[in-house]
Amino acid sequence: MFLIRFTEQALVELYLKHKIMSFVHFYVGQEAVAVGVCNNLRKEDRVLGNHRSHGHYLAKGGDLRAMISELLGKEGGSSKGKGGSMHMIDTSVNFIGSTPILGSVVPLASGAAFEQKYNKRKDITAVFFGDGAFEEGVVYETLNLSALFALPLLFVVENNLYSVNSTLKERRSANHNVEKIVTGFGVTYLKADGNDYEDVFEKARMLTKGIRAGAGPAVLECMTYRHMAHSAPIFDDAAGYRQEDPLERRLERDPIKKVRRSLLESGIPENTLVTLEEKIRTSVAESIQCAVDAPYPKKETLYTNLYA
Amino acid sequence: MRLIRKKKLSIPIYMPERIIKYSEAIQEATDQMMGADPRVFIIGLGVSYPKGADGTTAGLKSTYPERVFDVSVSEHGFTGMAVGAAINGLHPIVHHGRVEFSLLAADQIFTQAAKWNYMFGGGHPVPIVFRINVGRQWGNGPQHTQALYALFGNVPGLKVVIPSSPKMAKGLLVSALKDKNPVVMLEPRWLFNIKQNVPVQLFSEPLDKAVIIKEGAEVTVVAYGDGLFSARESLALVGDTVDIELIDIVSINPIDYKTIFQSVKKTGRLLCVDTTNGAFNVGSEVIAQVARNKSIKLKSNPVALSCPNVPCPTSTALTEFFYPTKVDIANALLSTFKKPLINQTLSFEELHLAPTDTIQ
Repeated sequence: MFLIRFTEQALVELYLKHKIMSFVHFYVGQEAVAVGVCNNLRKEDRVLGNHRSHGHYLAKGGDLRAMISELLGKEGGSSKGKGGSMHMIDTSVNFIGSTPILGSVVPLASGAAFEQKYNKRKDITAVFFGDGAFEEGVVYETLNLSALFALPLLFVVENNLYSVNSTLKERRSANHNVEKIVTGFGVTYLKADGNDYEDVFEKARMLTKGIRAGAGPAVLECMTYRHMAHSAPIFDDAAGYRQEDPLERRLERDPIKKVRRSLLESGIPENTLVTLEEKIRTSVAESIQCAVDAPYPKKETLYTNLYA
Repeated sequence: MRLIRKKKLSIPIYMPERIIKYSEAIQEATDQMMGADPRVFIIGLGVSYPKGADGTTAGLKSTYPERVFDVSVSEHGFTGMAVGAAINGLHPIVHHGRVEFSLLAADQIFTQAAKWNYMFGGGHPVPIVFRINVGRQWGNGPQHTQALYALFGNVPGLKVVIPSSPKMAKGLLVSALKDKNPVVMLEPRWLFNIKQNVPVQLFSEPLDKAVIIKEGAEVTVVAYGDGLFSARESLALVGDTVDIELIDIVSINPIDYKTIFQSVKKTGRLLCVDTTNGAFNVGSEVIAQVARNKSIKLKSNPVALSCPNVPCPTSTALTEFFYPTKVDIANALLSTFKKPLINQTLSFEELHLAPTDTIQ
């Protein structure tokens, strides 16, 4: 969680200096979701994500330097500069990919789980997407398909209240009920406090245990806050759409603060924690420097990789 | 791949042949490839029926009960699931019974499968075959007959083939199932009952090579699928009056310009036959590329035959005038050479019922 937060904090500066010429959707505030879920996964398990996937990628163990290089459009990036922030991938840790067209990754993830079932593997797949994508028709199609085929698939819905700047009230009727929709498809549903690592971890633990045992797919809806604007590293409270989660509330419920508090309460000395934080910040800074110094892709590569 | 080819060239293999239908050739290729490769499975609406997918999946469910999936009526969802399975190492065949239904899965075909390897910097293959039916046939009307060939030809990252005969259907499907990339096989339903001698064994046809059906010196005719079938028929009508070189373009993504340019350089004349609307079609693209090629000197303006820029209606009183016929093609060629035109009226059967001819 600290790694994800510190990385993105460092990226803010880079973005504002225009060194990142890639659309970036910051994950700040939602870290407990990615980490709480991925800490229940093994290396062989697969993860897919969406346009806001730095956290999912790092939580699954994705390579930090390759990620930052990709954001800077460098040759050594995880997608050789062809993908950018919205197309994260590190198949060496089974982070299968992320795609930004809302909902598109959901059926792709069901395919990853379909392969696991087809080849009788013991592993499972988790897919992260938001409350906006939950309104795409293909998500309902996939809920039905994954229940039909009893796929080993965990759908993680990160409900941060907004699709770009549109509130849930503008997008859903007052009677809209995610749990009823999901369970109507015969799929298990749990809701977690997405700002609370331990709650996410515990509920993801219960669901992944069931999925591994062959119970079929499940949905974990995590209620969380997106601290920054939809796609820029700025606080956009002045835009006026945030009625439910004013800045004070977001900061008060910051998952990093909560984790830090419980680490201290568990008896870890403050200076140990500070040393650890410094170590992470240094590692992030080194990765950034390394990526900044790295070469850009050569012109000829514009034409390569069209076909495998 | 190279090794296999060498082997094929050096050892003469006896290939017994027998006459089968286009739809049977597709079924046979699928059956043989499922037998050869456990990663291959088929998914689509009704593919498990005893005569599934117009006969192209007939009997496969009983041979491979765990690998033939009739599925929810959710084109976007099941196409995406298959793309995800391909990304993770399986080799799905996705069947869409009409091109219109595949459009519900446009995101997965055009934006996901076609981009995946490129956008992740290579090394991320998507071995999948989209078998998509183009529904020309009586009674199918505006929403079951769209011939959206150019749409698929326009998207980089897809390989797009249009089999024009039973032999090509089998050979191209085998190649598609051996390829690492997303291959769209656009199948004109009009041709499903034509017959041909097709080798019994597994064989493949290249996915990116045009085929010269008949050599000639005076004019190059470029066609595909059902238009190629009509162009073949027009050869007999034109006879010796014009020496035609007939090319089956086979692939529209990529297009084999080497073969086309070589032919047009020789003949100096070009006729393109499309069975889709006139705007932005395969012929327009071929003519544009030929016109840009400075080493080609044309002796006359290129000619394009295609369907009018309206949807295909349902009534046979109107569809009679929709598709270019063998007479239209013959007369386009004859008029290029200022020869007397043919005055032949086609029968109702010839105009409106899918052909059942046996071709060479």
